[in-house]
Amino acid sequence: MRPPHVGLTLRIIAVLVVLGIAVFPLYWMFVTALTNNSELFADKARLVPDFSQFGVFIDALAEGKATTWLRNSLVIAAGTTVLSIGLGIPLGYALSRFSFRGKALVAVVLLFTQMLPEALMVVPLFALFRRFDLLDSLGGLILVNSAFVLPIVALILKGAIDGLPRELEESARVDGARPLTVLTRINVPLIAPSLAATAVIAFFHAWNEYVFAVTFIFTPGMQPASVGIANFIGELGTPIQTVMAVAFMFTAPAVVFYLFVQKYVVAGMTAGAVKG
Amino acid sequence: MTVLEQQQITGPRSGTRRRGSPLGSKWTPYFFLAPAALFILVFQVVPLAQEIFLSFTRTSLLNPTHSTWVGLDNFTRIFGDEDFRRTLLITLVYVVVCVVAAVGSGLAVALLLNKGFRGRGLARALVTIPWAAPGIAVALIAIWMLNPDYGIVNRFLDAVGLGVPGGAILDSPRYALPAVLATTIWQLFPFTSVVLLSALQSVPPHLTEAATMDGAGRWWTFRAVTWQVIKPTVGLLAVLMTIWSLRRFELIWLMTKGGPVGATETLVIDLYSQAFDSKQLGSAAAVGMVGVVISLIVIAGSRFVARAAEREAR
Repeated sequence: MRPPHVGLTLRIIAVLVVLGIAVFPLYWMFVTALTNNSELFADKARLVPDFSQFGVFIDALAEGKATTWLRNSLVIAAGTTVLSIGLGIPLGYALSRFSFRGKALVAVVLLFTQMLPEALMVVPLFALFRRFDLLDSLGGLILVNSAFVLPIVALILKGAIDGLPRELEESARVDGARPLTVLTRINVPLIAPSLAATAVIAFFHAWNEYVFAVTFIFTPGMQPASVGIANFIGELGTPIQTVMAVAFMFTAPAVVFYLFVQKYVVAGMTAGAVKG
Repeated sequence: MTVLEQQQITGPRSGTRRRGSPLGSKWTPYFFLAPAALFILVFQVVPLAQEIFLSFTRTSLLNPTHSTWVGLDNFTRIFGDEDFRRTLLITLVYVVVCVVAAVGSGLAVALLLNKGFRGRGLARALVTIPWAAPGIAVALIAIWMLNPDYGIVNRFLDAVGLGVPGGAILDSPRYALPAVLATTIWQLFPFTSVVLLSALQSVPPHLTEAATMDGAGRWWTFRAVTWQVIKPTVGLLAVLMTIWSLRRFELIWLMTKGGPVGATETLVIDLYSQAFDSKQLGSAAAVGMVGVVISLIVIAGSRFVARAAEREAR
């Protein structure tokens, strides 16, 4: 038998290798943003960030295009969060607490829509949006992103409401409170952690969304960051440091927020996918 | 509780204001349901129905309101097309490798993180990072890392003597798919490992201890105890990874656009280029339907297997 400390050392090395693989690409994005031109194209790669180059982040924002993209992304993501949660709470409540005709159908539709690729739906939605004059608008993207994230939001919130004791709301109902009041005053405050998780999921679903944004938006000033950054690919005019700086500023919020709520996000995503 | 039972409890509705009924009227659930249902109907169900209709027509992107009904022509044509059969094969390879590698590496990392050690919380958080990163940013950094001249991957491969001639990995019909797969798996393994880690933590410690006390080796303990507990989670993840891989678009599209010469063209990439490059909405929809049907078969199949396993367990 091996002495125990050999196993431990191997384990530590393995953990470090995994962490290196997980973190390296984003670290490399950061390092590339903070490397000056001569070192970037030198024979030997620079492996640590050069903080004297930090101005690249400020310049990228001051130049204005990136700021507009990020602002558009923020508007779309915030709108999607509010709308999908606003619709998802009552839907999750109905699925959790009531039996009604058609409930099984609703559950099947919620599972089924989760497997539809965006690229498949982009054509008919384009036609729909053209008819209702929703093309080239941030509002249109809020609508379509909400529709795509709503099933998972509703299923996570249903799971959260399933976990609440019924006694509280029953006593409130006996006291004459209306169903909507019971939901907003009693249930909603109790599922705050799940609400936070669904908010992060909905926000970054819209923040990351690309297919609809690139198809439905024509005016450069209306583009979200996902489209703006994707347009850097194959374009040679922008210095690679600026590209990486903008991409890093686009990525960092998603990573930071996911780290805060990852436990609830993972639990919610699996629960939503399993039970439905 | 069915509507009927509910009526029996609440009794016939009187004209006076409802009072004391713990469930409200039978319309209450529909009141909560209606806004979301309407929304999903307009933005998902109706467009899907239109897409199904389109798959039986010849329709051009340039004149989308004019469709000619062609029956099953689109389907017979794509299945007779050699390029489409290659797309199916590449989709199969892409999906199978994603599922096996994402679940396998996820399990390995989960087992690694399952033993308590100092800094485990931090390690677990850091491992999540790839999954949280937006697909666009991942594609961008992958392209830069794979840059033929200055990319760190090529510099590394050259240094260890494994360099690809010319270094243009994403332009090589041979290496493009492995590169796209590696990027995809890099983004997926955090999700599978965190999910499997929480499954591992629900393994009752006294069972593994008992197995070890009975003289079982590590491998036997894993198979007899741990694997039995996490099996449903592994199955669920396999289904999820299959569905996600069948619908993954932007990572592949931005890295290779399905090229070179179709080497990374999955169903979703094919459908998008049929619609927007070839402007053939009908055949694009038909390609999309093939993907949807495959997903449905996988879901139905997994339910069947899960039921069979449940029966066996009883």
